[in-house]
Amino acid sequence: MEDEKIRILTKDNKVMTLKKLFEEKERLRKEQANLSFEKKIRALIILQRIASSWGGKKDVIVWKL
Amino acid sequence: MKKAIIVMNELKREGLIKDYAIGGAIGALKWVEPFFTRDLDIFIILIKEPENGEVIMLSPLYEYLKKRGYNKWVEQWIIIDDVPVELIPAEGVSKESVENALEVEFEGVRTKVMRPEYLIALFLKAGRDKDIRKIEMLLKQTKIDMEKLKDILRRYDLLKKFKRFMKEGQNGR
Repeated sequence: MEDEKIRILTKDNKVMTLKKLFEEKERLRKEQANLSFEKKIRALIILQRIASSWGGKKDVIVWKL
Repeated sequence: MKKAIIVMNELKREGLIKDYAIGGAIGALKWVEPFFTRDLDIFIILIKEPENGEVIMLSPLYEYLKKRGYNKWVEQWIIIDDVPVELIPAEGVSKESVENALEVEFEGVRTKVMRPEYLIALFLKAGRDKDIRKIEMLLKQTKIDMEKLKDILRRYDLLKKFKRFMKEGQNGR
């Protein structure tokens, strides 16, 4: 089925197509691209922590800010 | 990361390097959404530029770092305050990238980050899957000066590769 025809129920009982959902994700990515450098490095450190603990990648060094 | 930047500024101030800029994944991170990476790539311009075929000596930098207490290595990375740092001598397009890098502040410390047009050229040159993904992110998530990008690519013989990427790479993945 095409993304335009697949409809899903999201938060607040909002119905949107899969196509719209992907567009929203893309919009969010662009928004996150505008975060400050410091905030992005903080997010990276969280990702490293997740990779190291939950992801089981013990060789990942979790940075200091 | 702040400490690593402070150390790089010291290397410059002490006259051990001419200049430096953050490149690689962290360079890209300045311009796109946060994503996972392990290391900090720092491109450096040496005081004495190596002549053709001459072995590049980074040992004076490592000696300085050692004196400052940074003597731990993990694979090819030197660890500066829990950040794995790779020092990469800049030449050709990477040297120009350092020279034209954007001055920014990180946690109150001045540093330089490569501009997206140069990062695209460097990722294209490297050409691994993870580099291509970063090019896609840069093209989608930040403003690219296409004229400037094409000029860089043309001068470093990367334009054909870029055109092939634009034709096949983005949709073919």
